[in-house]
Amino acid sequence: MPDTEYFFHAEQLTVGYNGAVVVKDVEASVRKGQILTLIGPNGSGKSTILKSIAKQIKPISGAVYIGGHSIGNVSHREFSRQTAIVLTARPRPELMTCGDVVAVGRYPYTGMLGILPERDKEKVDEALRLVGASDLKDRGFAEISDGQLQRVMLARAICQEPEIIILDEPTSFLDIRYAVEILDILRSMATERGVTVVMSLHELNYAKRVSDLVMGVKDGQMLFLDTPDRIFTEEMISRLYDLPDGAYRQLFGGL
Amino acid sequence: MRYRVVTGVLLLLFAVLILLNIGIGSVKISVSGIVSSVLGEGFGTNEYDIIWKVRLPRVAAGVILGGALALSGFLLQAFFNNPIAGPFTLGISSGAKLVVALVMVFVLGGRSSSSVMLIASAFIGAMLSMDFVLRIARKVRRASVLIISGVMIGYLCSAVTDFVVTFASDDGIVNLHSWSRGSFSGMSWDNVWVMTAVVFCASVSAFLLSKQIGAYQLGESYAQSVGVNIKMFRMLLVLLASILCACVTAFAGPVSFVGVAVPHLVKAFAKTSKPLLIIPLCFLGGAVFCLGCDLIARTVYVPIEMSISSVSSIFGAPIVIYMMARKVARD
Repeated sequence: MPDTEYFFHAEQLTVGYNGAVVVKDVEASVRKGQILTLIGPNGSGKSTILKSIAKQIKPISGAVYIGGHSIGNVSHREFSRQTAIVLTARPRPELMTCGDVVAVGRYPYTGMLGILPERDKEKVDEALRLVGASDLKDRGFAEISDGQLQRVMLARAICQEPEIIILDEPTSFLDIRYAVEILDILRSMATERGVTVVMSLHELNYAKRVSDLVMGVKDGQMLFLDTPDRIFTEEMISRLYDLPDGAYRQLFGGL
Repeated sequence: MRYRVVTGVLLLLFAVLILLNIGIGSVKISVSGIVSSVLGEGFGTNEYDIIWKVRLPRVAAGVILGGALALSGFLLQAFFNNPIAGPFTLGISSGAKLVVALVMVFVLGGRSSSSVMLIASAFIGAMLSMDFVLRIARKVRRASVLIISGVMIGYLCSAVTDFVVTFASDDGIVNLHSWSRGSFSGMSWDNVWVMTAVVFCASVSAFLLSKQIGAYQLGESYAQSVGVNIKMFRMLLVLLASILCACVTAFAGPVSFVGVAVPHLVKAFAKTSKPLLIIPLCFLGGAVFCLGCDLIARTVYVPIEMSISSVSSIFGAPIVIYMMARKVARD
C-alpha cells in the first residue's frame, strides 16, 4: 500500500508503448505541494513517464497512486478533476480565442452541454490573470507567440483546479523572462495552494532553482531521485549526461 | 452579436427559399395560394395536390437532408481535425450509394424498397467506406493524402455504381438513374417521416456531443485530460456522421460538397467554431444551401431536371478548392 503521507506515488512503474518498454522500475513519492522535476538526455523516456502518470498511456506494469487511489481504477472524468496537463504539442483548433481554450479547463465541472455559469467564467479570467495573459483573452489562439501559448496552456491547466499538474517541458521555446515567470507561478501554486507539480525540464539551472525533488532518467532507467542539492554535483550530472571530465564545471560552474 | 446576425440572415433566406420552392415550377403558385393550401383549404384542387403531394415533401426532404449533410460534414471535420473532410470528399457518400444500388438491383430486382431498408444498406456502404478511410488515416498522417484517397474511392464506387445502374436500366427501376446522380425528386411523405425520425435522433445526439467536440478541438490528449472518454467519443462521431450521410444517400443519392462548404461558410461568417453554436447553424445552413440548389436544379431547364449534385458542385467545389489552397499555404 502507498504511504498516505505522499500525495503522488509511483510504484515499480514500467512504462512504454504497445508493450515495448521505454523506462522501467520508476519509484517516486512526492508530498502535497512539492515539485518533482525529471531531467535527463533527450529520448531517455521522460515524456513517456509523464504520459503514463497523466493516464494518457497505460503503464506496462506497476502502479501510480494519486491522492491514495491507483489511477488505473479511476475514471477519466474523476481523474480530470484532480489532474491537469500541459503538453509540448501545440493544439491547432480552428477559430478559438485564448479565452475559449482556457475555458476547456472548466469542462470537468460543467453540465452536459458545457455551458459555463458566471462563477466558472470568473475562474477562467482569474487563471488568465494569474499567468499574466488577461489581455490575450479575446485574441485568436492561432495568432499568439510560443511564449504566450505556454502561458495560455498553463492558464487552461490552472483553471481546471487540479491537485496535481503534470507538465512536459513547460519552458521550451520560452525566453528567459517568461520561463522564470512560468516557474515562479508553479512554485507559488505549489507552496501557497498545495498543488503538486511533476514536470520535465531541459534547463538544469531552472530545475535546480524550482524543484523539491529531481529525478534523473537515462537509458530507460531511473538513475537517481533526490533533493536538488544532492543532485547538482559534478559527479551526478556528469554521469547522467555522459559529460567528459571538467565539462560540468565549465558549463555549470556558476550554478 | 455576429452569431445572431448570421442566424437571422439564414432564417430569412430559409423562409424565402421555402416559399420559392413551393411556389415556382411548371405550375406557378402565389404566396396566398401556398398559405391557403397549407392551411388545408381548397382540398381536391390541382394546386392543393401539387403542393401536398409533390412540392411540400420535396421541400421537407431538402431541409432535412441538406441539414443532415452539413452536420455530417461538420462531425467528420471534427473527427479528422481537417476542414476539407466531408461525406463526399472522403468517399463515404459514394460507398453508401454503391451498396444501395446493389441492393436495389440485385436484391430487390425492381420491387419497391422500404425506406428503412434503403437507409440500412446506405449505412452499411457508408461504414465500409469509413473503415477504408480510417485504415488510410492510421497509415498516413498527411491530411491531403487522406482526401485524395477519399476522392479516389469515391470515383471507384461511382464507377461501379454506374455499371450496376446501366446493367439494370432494362428492368425499368423507377428513378434509379436520377437517384444515382443525386436528386430530391419523387419524395413521398413516407420517406419524409422516416428521414425526419432518423435525422432528428442523430442530430440531437450530435448536439449533445457539443462539449466533447469542443474539447476534442484541442486534440485527443487534452480532451481525455478533461474527462472525455476518447474511444467512445470517436466511435459515436463516426457512427453519427455515417448515419446522417447514409440517410441522405438513401433518399437523394450523392449530393456533393455541401458537407465541406456549408460548415466552412457558417464558421467563417459567425467567426466561431464552438460546436454548441455551430451545430444548429450548420443544419440551418445546409438546409438553405440545398433548398437553393434544388430550386436551381429544377427550374433552369424546365421541364428537364438537373442533378442536385451538379448544382451543389458549381457552388461548393470552388469553396473547397479555395480552402485546400489556403490550408496548403498555411501548412
